[in-house]
Amino acid sequence: MNPLKKIFDNLEPHFTGTGKYKSIEPLFDATKTLFFFPSPKTKFSPFIRDNLDLKRYMSFVILALFPVLMFGIYNTGFQSGLAQGQKFGLIESLLVGSYYVLPIIIVSYGVGFLWEIIFAVIRKHKISEGFLVSGLLFPLTLPPTIPLWQVAIGISFGVVIGKEIFGGTGRNILNPALTARAFVFFSYPVSMSGDIWVATQKTVDSITGATALSITGSQGKGIITALTEKGFDLPNLFFGVIPGSIGETSALCCLIGAAFLMITGIANYRIILGGIAGLIITATLFYLIPENYDTWAHAGPFYHLCAGGFLFGISFMATDPVSAPGTNTARWIFGFLIGFFTIILRVVNPAFVEGVMLAILFMNVFAPLLDHIVIKYKTSKRIPNV
Amino acid sequence: MEKINISKGFKIKLSGKPDDSLVELPEPNTVAVSAMDIPYIRPKLLVKENEQVKTGSPLFCDKRDKSIKYVSPATGKVKKILFGQRRRLLEVVIDNYKKDDFISFPSFSRTDLKNNIKEDLITNLKNAGLWQCFRQFPFKDTAQADKNPPMIIVSLNGNDIFSPIPEIMIKNNEDFFEFGIEILKQFCPRIIVTVRESHFQKLGQIKKHVTHVVPDFYPSWDPGVVLYHIKKSSDENLSWCIAVEHLIMISKLITQGHYPVERIITSTKPHENNPHILTRQGAPIILLSGEIDSETVITTGQFNGRIADLDSHIGFFENTLNLFPASESEKMFGFVDPGLNSHTVSKTFLSCLKKDTPMQVDATIHGEERACINCSYCEKICPIDLMPNFIMKALHNDDIEEALQYGLLDCCQCGLCAYTCPSKIELTQILSNGMDNYYKDKA
Repeated sequence: MNPLKKIFDNLEPHFTGTGKYKSIEPLFDATKTLFFFPSPKTKFSPFIRDNLDLKRYMSFVILALFPVLMFGIYNTGFQSGLAQGQKFGLIESLLVGSYYVLPIIIVSYGVGFLWEIIFAVIRKHKISEGFLVSGLLFPLTLPPTIPLWQVAIGISFGVVIGKEIFGGTGRNILNPALTARAFVFFSYPVSMSGDIWVATQKTVDSITGATALSITGSQGKGIITALTEKGFDLPNLFFGVIPGSIGETSALCCLIGAAFLMITGIANYRIILGGIAGLIITATLFYLIPENYDTWAHAGPFYHLCAGGFLFGISFMATDPVSAPGTNTARWIFGFLIGFFTIILRVVNPAFVEGVMLAILFMNVFAPLLDHIVIKYKTSKRIPNV
Repeated sequence: MEKINISKGFKIKLSGKPDDSLVELPEPNTVAVSAMDIPYIRPKLLVKENEQVKTGSPLFCDKRDKSIKYVSPATGKVKKILFGQRRRLLEVVIDNYKKDDFISFPSFSRTDLKNNIKEDLITNLKNAGLWQCFRQFPFKDTAQADKNPPMIIVSLNGNDIFSPIPEIMIKNNEDFFEFGIEILKQFCPRIIVTVRESHFQKLGQIKKHVTHVVPDFYPSWDPGVVLYHIKKSSDENLSWCIAVEHLIMISKLITQGHYPVERIITSTKPHENNPHILTRQGAPIILLSGEIDSETVITTGQFNGRIADLDSHIGFFENTLNLFPASESEKMFGFVDPGLNSHTVSKTFLSCLKKDTPMQVDATIHGEERACINCSYCEKICPIDLMPNFIMKALHNDDIEEALQYGLLDCCQCGLCAYTCPSKIELTQILSNGMDNYYKDKA
């Protein structure tokens, strides 16, 4: 017999029934089922069941996040090197990046799981896999300079207020990871805006840690010229070797993850494609308005697509099935409006340079309404059977 | 002949398809009338243990309509009457004398059918225990004889993917089938006959009676799915349906004047192509399945049957047995298994790349129950365009009106929503309980 299985079998009596550690049975159960995939007998028809379960479903999102995460670590290290006036190689960038990024991820997972366990113990249910994704998504939306205590408070807010008070995974209205980010964004603006995008010990003067979206042109100089001068030309924005939140900089890696999710059917392609369409159409409309040549209004659809966190948000945050609508037509509208509001916030609202987080949260709130309208329409098409 | 376009359903190939041959089994020692597969019945027993019965003698009737009788499929002695929890009747077991002594019923000829003899037919069928062959939507309850159905759907394929194939059931019974269609016309002018695409060409002389061909994936041939796709108005919700073997039984009863006892059954096992079995109605499961080990379950339909005990008997509405393993396993790191042989409708296992390989199934859940995450996998597979996740939420909320609006009563209980759910929610169970509760409220 498998030695690992033996360990679990030996431990089991302590955590179940009248065992000493019965109160933390969910923790034991979660660990055990991570190693040994459970498959109890079916009691009701249908007697055969699909092999896909929620653990696999969620691990596929983690898999899709892998390129984004690895590039995020690399880029954090690389930017840190640039700020010190050096050009790090691949290994060095990864090591330096890990030094900044891994603690954030560990704190996010650690604190978040603590809350999950507390709620699972109180409510006497099993730990849901949903947090595996939220716990990784949240750090990727943060700047690498974020103080760890803010990460801890943020994820606590995301898990408890964003999810658990509504009843846990599957019942939340807002995306927990984005709720956490919004909390940090509004509570600790100093940590979330300004020159905080590059993590480093000592800075060479000429480098500022601004992101592409905070740049504007000046009189007689268009936005694209201004961007190019600062190093934010389209290829750089696309490949992502620029300062920004850990996971959002590389449009390419986000697109790889999005493609993977769409092909495997884990994320609904309607949301992603609808979102990209909404963004491109709205950005083009603003581009066609003559005036404001020096602001992001005139940046055009491709700059808007690749800059900031839009692709990250639409691929991984908006596609969270729980907080997105549950009907297909509503998903198209949901995605489209996220794209639309992202541009509106970026261009029209000077208070926020980045709009995607608020656009997604805003549409999360409207998702049930969209569903309601679509279902009303769909049921009106059915031949009634009452 | 029309083709019904159905796009959603279970398109995975499963292993264990029965082959086209037919074997006859020796006479069983016991037969039984099972009450477990009869919908909504409240049985009232008409016999006692050790009483002698003839083939066609009534054993119990339905308290809701005492004229509907369930009759003995053999001549012999009532061996025992089995009750389950809360004294629910399970089955009436009869010692088979292996020699039939038939109760005779009036018979009718083709010329009789030219006149309106509907009332005589109804009385005859009720006394002979075959009226219940007619099932009425939306609950698939026993049909109400005093109502005129808007249409009658005859399904040539059974409830399971591996139910007996129509060619074999109709072979040598072609005339009975055609006579049966004439009988149905006494009840309703609109007769719908449906068959799976792959069987249509093999039907021979009865091809001309087929009105609709359905795609070859489960559950397109289910009468509920057919009804949903052809109905034009809400009056048609009260249609009737009947399975082809029951139609042939009715027509044999009407022509021969005694209870027809033969049934064709399939008993399937993964990796085996078993023949069809010709046996007596109500044969013991063990005779049909052979000995099995403790890790195997027997169901009367992988998606929509019941688990059959080895010492019980096959029911009147059942003609398929599926034997498959049910060993609880704990696969190490199962959630990252590449899954070359894992059947799934999603695209998260490598098995989705080899569509033509028949997959092996087992009777385990493959995961643990979680909250609904609104992924709509159930909606994506539902053959009648329901949104099982929203209906489930409405039912949890005790909002039956909303559930009905969403189309709860269209549900044909094919089981695909619960099959596909990654959160392993018992959707089919929840929906069918919702329907049952509504039925009880109405009654």
